[in-house]
Amino acid sequence: MRVALFTTCLAEALAPRALKATVLVLEHCGVAVEMPTAQTCCGQPMLSNGLPADAARLARRMSEIFAPYDAVVTPSGSCCSVVREKYAGLFAEGSRDRAAVEALAAKTFELVEFLETKLGIDPATLRAKTCSRASTATPPATTTTAPLNCHDACHLRGIHRHGCTAPFLKAAGCGDVRDLPDMAQCCGFGGMFSTQFPEVSTALGEEKLAHVASTGASTLVASDTGCAAHLAGLAHRKNVALRVISPAEALAESLGLMEIPA
Amino acid sequence: MNELIAPALPFDMKPRAREAVRDLKLQQFVGNATHLKDTQRGGIFGRDFGPDYDDLRTVARDTKQYALDHLDELLERFIANAEQSGAKVHAATTGREACDIALDIARAHAAKSCVKSKSMVTEEIGLLPAFEAAGIKTLETDLGEFILQIDGDAPSHIVTPMIHKDRVATAKSFVRELGARYTEDPTELTMIAREHMRGLYRAADIGVSGANFLLADEGSAVICTNEGNFDLSVGGPPVHIVFVGIEKLIRGARDLAPFLKLLARSGTAQPLTVYTSFVRGPRRAGEHGGPKEVHFVLVDAGRVGVLASEKRDLLRCIRCGACLNACPVYRKVGGHAYGSMYAGPIGAVLTPELERAQGTASPGQPAAGLTNYPDLPRASSLCGACYEACPVKIDIPKFLLHDRVRLRAQGLSPKSEARVLALWRWLAERPALFRLAIGAVRLHARMLGRKDGDGERAWLSRAPGPGAGWTQSRDLGIATGESFRDWFASREPRPKKPGGSQ
Repeated sequence: MRVALFTTCLAEALAPRALKATVLVLEHCGVAVEMPTAQTCCGQPMLSNGLPADAARLARRMSEIFAPYDAVVTPSGSCCSVVREKYAGLFAEGSRDRAAVEALAAKTFELVEFLETKLGIDPATLRAKTCSRASTATPPATTTTAPLNCHDACHLRGIHRHGCTAPFLKAAGCGDVRDLPDMAQCCGFGGMFSTQFPEVSTALGEEKLAHVASTGASTLVASDTGCAAHLAGLAHRKNVALRVISPAEALAESLGLMEIPA
Repeated sequence: MNELIAPALPFDMKPRAREAVRDLKLQQFVGNATHLKDTQRGGIFGRDFGPDYDDLRTVARDTKQYALDHLDELLERFIANAEQSGAKVHAATTGREACDIALDIARAHAAKSCVKSKSMVTEEIGLLPAFEAAGIKTLETDLGEFILQIDGDAPSHIVTPMIHKDRVATAKSFVRELGARYTEDPTELTMIAREHMRGLYRAADIGVSGANFLLADEGSAVICTNEGNFDLSVGGPPVHIVFVGIEKLIRGARDLAPFLKLLARSGTAQPLTVYTSFVRGPRRAGEHGGPKEVHFVLVDAGRVGVLASEKRDLLRCIRCGACLNACPVYRKVGGHAYGSMYAGPIGAVLTPELERAQGTASPGQPAAGLTNYPDLPRASSLCGACYEACPVKIDIPKFLLHDRVRLRAQGLSPKSEARVLALWRWLAERPALFRLAIGAVRLHARMLGRKDGDGERAWLSRAPGPGAGWTQSRDLGIATGESFRDWFASREPRPKKPGGSQ
């Protein structure tokens, strides 16, 4: 199985550590990952903001770039859902482009979903898996004990994965995973909504942070780069000490594949 | 009409949204009530239907869609059966026509007073102002609507119209308007309203209501309430007028069950509303109660236009309010921020669409629609909670996206935004340049950002251009260390060259 990493432009700019973690976790599970260098942006910003023709050009590009692979994995729940749910609607039924993006949609997965449904990994056994790469560390003796919360990207709803990340991390032994009250409510990011309605977006983000604080968690796992940037940015502005990371990083750290920064 | 739900056009949502977010009472009332109802809704469906809930929604969706696809046929059947039972059926193309029909009926009976149970469509067509102008005094009999009426306020939720108020406000207005003693006890407050209303029911010349469903086979209307106020408004006055949008038609009682199962559970987490009432024609010989005349006013007011558009799914809406309760934005801005009697996610798509369809209904008029509500399609984080909550599976986010396309096409969204996105797309088709651009952003952050926290990121507290809205309340953290691509390329041993390199 040839597996490609779909990096997403946002993660390349804002969260390269999440991408590194994705590669390390996949390798830990015996999956060698390739990274098509021509990939750029999936077109979500255009698609969500009334420019479907622009989005279609990028969707077509995506389908060509990832054509040689059997599976495409990304740490971003939101970009994943665009490929899965929205691409087809950009092209006429029966067209070649439509077939191409449908083929891409059928093989694109968010990381945790890929591990759980495509590889069929029982999270409880993750730790025992042996690494395919000699250079990575041996399975860890210690795991993070920092209390953490998990906030799922709303777009995971569309691919029926909303609420699946926390149970997976819990079962994988990612430390002290605490339930986040009202997890189902949007964090307020919403792409350009965050700048079009900044007050509403901020109020929702602050509510999310208040829920996190109520659990005593010092780390928040957010399954989308945009949500993570929004919540981390709010916390930073308010001098709230909160580490915001991706599910991939939480897994990589707990498996000893990555060091927890001091 | 009340300016809160019928504002000056074009409507600017942003000032109302900003104000609402700062209104601590509104945050508390609307936030608590919506969260509670949303949680209870999930609870009751889980308990009563478990995994079959989705099948029930599918049945309801398909049943309602079938009715919409056969609307002409069902309308004919409804009219024939309603007339058979002695009711009079009127068709109104516009809201104005619907009001005129009612005014004619009222004049024929020299009506001076009216009791009205809750109806969204009468808000839509402006019936009350029309009645007031004609000297017909109307009493809102739904408790929430009554309180809003005496306060000169307007509904802010489809099902819970006074969700933005509490009992303290109610107690004060009862003292002020009804001369009642001050009490915050809900039962006592209800009794005060009840005493005030009972006499008025008996004295009223005319009763008015909406309807939740129209049954074509039976020629009757179904009205769901929790207060029994409909039964009193139909039982007291000699004349009753049912105002109803034509999209409320279903085949008949045989199709009603899934909707009754879904409506009350979705709206208020009840297995059924307390009252489920049927109106079928006037009082018959030998019957002791009921109006001597029953009129059905079938309102188009843009619905035929919606039916012919790509947004026809919107007509499946059964006005349960579940999408409002589930919506993060509605929870923060409340109903009045939407500038329409239809607030929240469904309102954001329905209001401009009805407006557009009514524009096209009268030849020569420009299709206003989004021109008058340019903010509504954008006032959403596209989180999808509305679609998940909808009992008839209306894909509201999809329609918000449609409207965003229309906004662009009509030049109603900011040009600067379009320029940035076009540049972004242009760069995204040129991977080397795209990487340079990402590099430039990272360099910018490295030069100007503050490096605190975990040291992975540099933080910008002022971003230029479209980033300004971001940094108004948030810092922007940009990773400044080794790029992912450099890290990936530096690892040994490289697998075979992947396809798609530039």
